[in-house]
Amino acid sequence: MKLRKTISTICYGVMLLITMSPVVRAAETPGTLVMETIDRGLVVLKDPSLKGREKSDERRQRLWKEISPIFNFEEMSKRALGQHWKKRSPEEKKEFVELFTNILKDAYIGKTDTYSGEKIVFVKEKQDEKDYASVQTKIITNTGAVVLVEYRMLSNAGKWKIYDVIIEGVSLVNNYRSQFSNILMKSPYEELVQKIKGKTGKEKT
Amino acid sequence: MRNGVTGMFFFGLTVLFSMHALQAESVPVSAPAESSYGELNEDNASNMDTGSGGAEGESDEAGQAGTEAEIPLVKDTFQPFNRAMFAFNDKAFHYFFKPIYTGYNSMIPVQARVSVKNFYTNIRMPIRFFNCLFQSNFKGAGTEMLRFVVNSTVGVAGFLDPAKSKFHLEKQERDFGQTLGKYNMQSGTYFVWPFLGPSNTRDTIGFVGDTVLDPLTWVSYFFLKPIESIGNYTYESVNKLSVDTGDTYESVTKPAIDPYIALQDAYLQNRVKKIKE
Repeated sequence: MKLRKTISTICYGVMLLITMSPVVRAAETPGTLVMETIDRGLVVLKDPSLKGREKSDERRQRLWKEISPIFNFEEMSKRALGQHWKKRSPEEKKEFVELFTNILKDAYIGKTDTYSGEKIVFVKEKQDEKDYASVQTKIITNTGAVVLVEYRMLSNAGKWKIYDVIIEGVSLVNNYRSQFSNILMKSPYEELVQKIKGKTGKEKT
Repeated sequence: MRNGVTGMFFFGLTVLFSMHALQAESVPVSAPAESSYGELNEDNASNMDTGSGGAEGESDEAGQAGTEAEIPLVKDTFQPFNRAMFAFNDKAFHYFFKPIYTGYNSMIPVQARVSVKNFYTNIRMPIRFFNCLFQSNFKGAGTEMLRFVVNSTVGVAGFLDPAKSKFHLEKQERDFGQTLGKYNMQSGTYFVWPFLGPSNTRDTIGFVGDTVLDPLTWVSYFFLKPIESIGNYTYESVNKLSVDTGDTYESVTKPAIDPYIALQDAYLQNRVKKIKE
């Protein structure tokens, strides 16, 4: 009895060490980091206790908790605003990051509701410079269609985070930058903020 | 419909060409020659207007020639017309195609839908084959030829795709717009066509080229009544949409702040990637 307890304690301890250890985490390459995060997300999507429409809020929240840490939302916002970012005050920047994060959250977490067994396969990773990397993956749908998804990553003090997602050659950040700059050509920054707020408000109801 | 649409293309093309030639001179300089520019535009907008309805007058090319240094300038001379067309296509998608394909989805199993898509893909082999040749991608042309032989026989007239599943012969996505791009033709002005969606000068010419290479065009022309052709093309697009479970169109426009620009940008970025391939 005593022996069993000791063994289970040791096992528990080892498990804790493996999952918590920052040393293990730091040794990750961008590719393994992305794939592990995707796998954790898929666990949530496949969880039978979280299936169904009435559980969608809970499922989305859990999923967001798993995947949001590897995104660098400030960097994404900065790149999406482009040259207009410099002209903003610190408060405006903070507000914008929050708004942009919400758009992405609404848009892309919502899409996972229709998950139907798509497979995500690692293709390759590439480290361009010391702190830039890209991870290429393939999504294979149940109809056999293949969608190429590439994650562009930036390292900050050894921590890799995603700053852009490129789906079939279409950069998410560039797509929003085209939209934002188009709006900002014709109207002031405040109007853009209003438009984004209107958008996120609509999604929630 | 295809005849009417094709007619419109040729008409549009001639107009576009003259526009293109004229514009080429005035574009590099920031925004001169406003007057002649504007005139031409109005002419065009009203010409294009007939039959589709809703282009609201003058375009704002001055607004397009922005100061953004990071973003390559998108030539969107016909923006009011394009926006109207985008709105029309959007409505057509949401009120016509989507209800049909959702119903179709619930009745026909996935495997059958994929088979139908395979069938059409197999028939269209000449488009991909010849464009491989035009792009001097002889390996790709060989692959397409092999795929056609295998799928037409073992694959039961193209309904199955054993070339891919058994022999790992991947489909070569080559089209004429891409070919023109490879020969360094510029993309030209952005354009939204009814039902067909985003395009530009180069890809419109490419589309016409592909239509000529498409065996279905010949079948429609010689053997089918117009109504049957329309039925055929509509059925094909419904089936295609129904296989695309990712709902590409919606995933671009739904999260967008300005869906029109989002689709435009996605189209152009995707084309650049395809030409580079």
